[in-house]
Amino acid sequence: MIEEIRTIVAGLLDELDAVVALRRSGEGVAPHLFQKGDDLSELEIAPRYPLMTLVSRLHKRFPAIRLGVVARGCDERAYIEMAKRNQIDPDRLSIIGFACTAEEAQECYCARPYPQQLLVGTPPPPGPVNPIVAEYDALPLAERRAFWRRHFARCIKCYGCRNICPECFCEACAMEDAVWVEPGLLAPPFPTFHLIRAMHMASRCVACRECEHACPAHIPLTVLYDLMRRDMEALLGYVPGADIAAPPPLSVTLEETPLRVARGH
Amino acid sequence: MDYRNTLTTCIYCGAGCQMYIETIDGQITGVWPAKTNQISQGRLCIKGWNVTGFVDSPDRLTTPLIRKDGELVPAGWDQALSLIAGKLRAVRQESGPDSIGILASAKCTNEENYLMNKFARAVIGTNNIDHCARLCHAPTVVGLAAAFGSGAMTNSIPEFETDTNCFLIMGSNTSEGHPLIASRIMKAQQERGARLVVIDPRETQLARIADLYLPFRPGTDVAVLNGLMHVIISEGLEDRLFIAGRTEGYEEMKAVVEQYTPERVEEISGVPADRLRQAARMYAQNRPSAFIYSMGITQHTTGVDNVKSVANLAMLTGNLGIVGAGVNPLRGQNNVQGACDMGALPNVYPGYQAVTSEEVQKKFQDVWGSTSHTGVGLTVTEMVNAVGEGRLRALYVMAENPMVSDPDLNHARRCLERAEFLVVQDIFLSETAQLAHVVLPGAAFVEKDGTFTATDRRVQRVRKAVEPPGEARADWEIICLLAQKMGATGFDFASPKEIMEEIARLTPSYAGISYERLEELGFLHWPCPAPDHPGTPVLHQGRFARGLGRFHAVEFQEPAELPDADYPFTLTTGRSIFHFHTGTMTRRTAKLHQEVPEAYIEMHPDDAARIGLNGGRRVRVSSRRGQIELGVRVTRRIKPGVVFIPFHFAEAAANALTNAAIDPTAKIPEYKVCAVRVEPCHQDVS
Amino acid sequence: MDVEFEPRIVAFMCNWCTYAGADNAGVARLQSPANVLPIRVMCSGRVSPEMVMRVFRAGADGVLVMGCHLGDCHYASGNHRTAKRVPLLKNLLSYVGINPERLELHWVSGSEGPRFVEVTRAFTEKIRQLGPLAQEVAE
Repeated sequence: MIEEIRTIVAGLLDELDAVVALRRSGEGVAPHLFQKGDDLSELEIAPRYPLMTLVSRLHKRFPAIRLGVVARGCDERAYIEMAKRNQIDPDRLSIIGFACTAEEAQECYCARPYPQQLLVGTPPPPGPVNPIVAEYDALPLAERRAFWRRHFARCIKCYGCRNICPECFCEACAMEDAVWVEPGLLAPPFPTFHLIRAMHMASRCVACRECEHACPAHIPLTVLYDLMRRDMEALLGYVPGADIAAPPPLSVTLEETPLRVARGH
Repeated sequence: MDYRNTLTTCIYCGAGCQMYIETIDGQITGVWPAKTNQISQGRLCIKGWNVTGFVDSPDRLTTPLIRKDGELVPAGWDQALSLIAGKLRAVRQESGPDSIGILASAKCTNEENYLMNKFARAVIGTNNIDHCARLCHAPTVVGLAAAFGSGAMTNSIPEFETDTNCFLIMGSNTSEGHPLIASRIMKAQQERGARLVVIDPRETQLARIADLYLPFRPGTDVAVLNGLMHVIISEGLEDRLFIAGRTEGYEEMKAVVEQYTPERVEEISGVPADRLRQAARMYAQNRPSAFIYSMGITQHTTGVDNVKSVANLAMLTGNLGIVGAGVNPLRGQNNVQGACDMGALPNVYPGYQAVTSEEVQKKFQDVWGSTSHTGVGLTVTEMVNAVGEGRLRALYVMAENPMVSDPDLNHARRCLERAEFLVVQDIFLSETAQLAHVVLPGAAFVEKDGTFTATDRRVQRVRKAVEPPGEARADWEIICLLAQKMGATGFDFASPKEIMEEIARLTPSYAGISYERLEELGFLHWPCPAPDHPGTPVLHQGRFARGLGRFHAVEFQEPAELPDADYPFTLTTGRSIFHFHTGTMTRRTAKLHQEVPEAYIEMHPDDAARIGLNGGRRVRVSSRRGQIELGVRVTRRIKPGVVFIPFHFAEAAANALTNAAIDPTAKIPEYKVCAVRVEPCHQDVS
Repeated sequence: MDVEFEPRIVAFMCNWCTYAGADNAGVARLQSPANVLPIRVMCSGRVSPEMVMRVFRAGADGVLVMGCHLGDCHYASGNHRTAKRVPLLKNLLSYVGINPERLELHWVSGSEGPRFVEVTRAFTEKIRQLGPLAQEVAE
């Protein structure tokens, strides 16, 4: 699979300014900008990083740059949500999509482990729903409280979840605003610190799982965000990353995205 | 367009996390966590994420500065270095090499610390070289060398996640001082049910999630440790095979420990007797058990005794020489381990080879051309006093800030203000640099190559990602230029790589370390005695570095200054996760500054009531040595009678209050215990 | 001796409708519970999730978000955002074990003084039954 990707990238570098992908060097594997003439044998697809963050950064810094990006399903979903919010210019981005493996799909509990613009690989079966999420409704309030209390108690306020998230691009972040979250406390205040983010993720989280991987305290953040995604679909019929034409529901009127029947808790 | 991700090692704590510094056309544009780094595994703490936040500060020093008519004015390199070289030569000529002192830097690379030690010994001819390890883990170096033959962390960080079954954390606020190490502890607890015992005067974050938390009176560590051992021995939980086969001195220690019944320990320390018993059993019965400690153990007049007691406990239970166990001092600075390894200490050369040994002197003399033949040199704490008394006429400080980190700051200020000739090399005009006669602009960690050695003896690369600002230069270049100005040879290195080659030739534990190997492997644990040696994650397997491990019989002694009627509270000091040490970098980093913009004192609500705080927000805190005003955080996480101040804030410096009383062997000040008075600040009502 | 629990309620009220409605209730001498602390916002759509959560953390046992009826919003569709946000936020609260009934959304117009009183009274009683939030988020 990787050879195929490298070949495609090599071809594209004739028309594009650069391709964003991972590069392996003596210094490990990191995001990179491959330009014409670069050694493409160094191009890698793992361990993954949220490459759309880099695409966004480059699109803003270089308003004319035409990029390609080697993208998994989650990368493409991230791109779709970022494009809607004017963080990435779809006219200046080519997606070189490839499918994840079945193991990767399982590990990420990924419902769609391949991009729409799929060029390499065959779509594996979707991963299962996270069992904690699947069984969540049966948990009584007190147990839910205990679950999150225990996990959030370990938070060291690194902001890694927010920093690594491709959808978190706000320059003024509510989590850092002393009006909402008392600064300088460990563990950060409950419920404000984590729930502000969870609410803000409601129409943005594309289930890439980077937040959980970046968390030094091993907090199962994706459980909370998966539940919000579930509500987003049930209440507003919206799946982040599915359709670039679908407007973000929380920003538009009820005529455009009506509320469905509220589900029970 | 030049897009680069440069892998380097974090400048802050001793965990040794790595990250990528992203640059576009030579400008820093971001930080990516390093998913392939063994320590950080794609995670970072808030300081790590913001590690470049201070690099572009407008406060960066960009030219040398020379004091003229009381003011520091910009000067050229040649002028500044000539001035320094001339003055040092003159002072040495007139008053001998020991009238000059050198402070190396736990923040700088191994190569730079090695060069400072070479400069001190080969160029100046003195052993008056020391650095801030004196103020933090000097007792570890002394105590563990005495007990095991090697003064370093015995195990390695990844083992905590995969192998440790019980963590005994004493005197370490790990989730704040070493967050990514705490991350491993948390994972082990969550995924493998590893037990967590925390012993701390404050209910730290880890204490709150611990299986057992033992609050205790600051400064009573030996009593608590002896008490734990008492329980283990009286309940037959000791490892008799290990004691018999691998140690000496057991009987004398046992005789002392027999006196420390849990009831007596409760009287001394406040730890409830039954909880002490539970902790002892948990530690002894869940091997491999890792003892983890930091400043809470070392920063005492009994620091060495405390460390020896920790070593006793680990040997008693056979928790040494095996994976997942050990005695694990968490070194605070990114390269304090390396600075010690490189001989930036008054009593040893690189590799802990004694300065008093004629054989060692000859070895270095042969390679360097000259070396010092004076005795053991002065420590940091002694140097400050010596400057004040005029015995030290010149002091050359690299990247350290004793004007905020030394104890009893008013005294330190009086001494340093009297300095005849003070040279400070730094990236900011720190509080210490503000007193200097000459200031040299050094390079930040992203602006030079080199290596750092993390707390678990892990040597990793530091890589240059951007150019230093203005005329600032890499510190290794500055030392070489100065040495050359003084007519020395042996300082014409083209790169830090070459410096490491010389280090490897002279330092047995680093003999197998080279830039080629570090490129290939990413890291190496010393001892690495040969070019094909894979490094040593776990020490003392099979035998201790000194042969047999040595038990020491240690009696409890009170701290130097206890609370009394005039100063009724015990002040203990420490860290906040949002800042680092004297704050020169973190307080210039917006994302960190906004979390904790100013100093604060933690106080129990009963104490707040007792002093009549009544909802007031600021207090005046005084000790026999000084006085500060700062905000107050009322919290139940600290015991009544004890207050806590983080030491990061120069304008409300905790160290204006602390006691300069030192451990007799390690010479570390007792930062963790002194007596203070706290009064509400009454605003004028008019 | 048991001190009876008096719920602390914070009510975000939009300036153009609900706040006017509350005013009207006052003018008509209708008594709404003293437990309710009013916070006037220009539009119910201004009420962000962080506002609601901060208010819970500061000690509110229950939070009301009130604005114009759909179609009557002074800013045309501000209350559309409210309509979508509040159910999501209620669910989120329930996911971390905070009773979602502590947050309610109501449309109350400027002429609905009696309705304002009815809503606030009913909500206060409900929260009284639920008990203090402090018990649910206690450290």
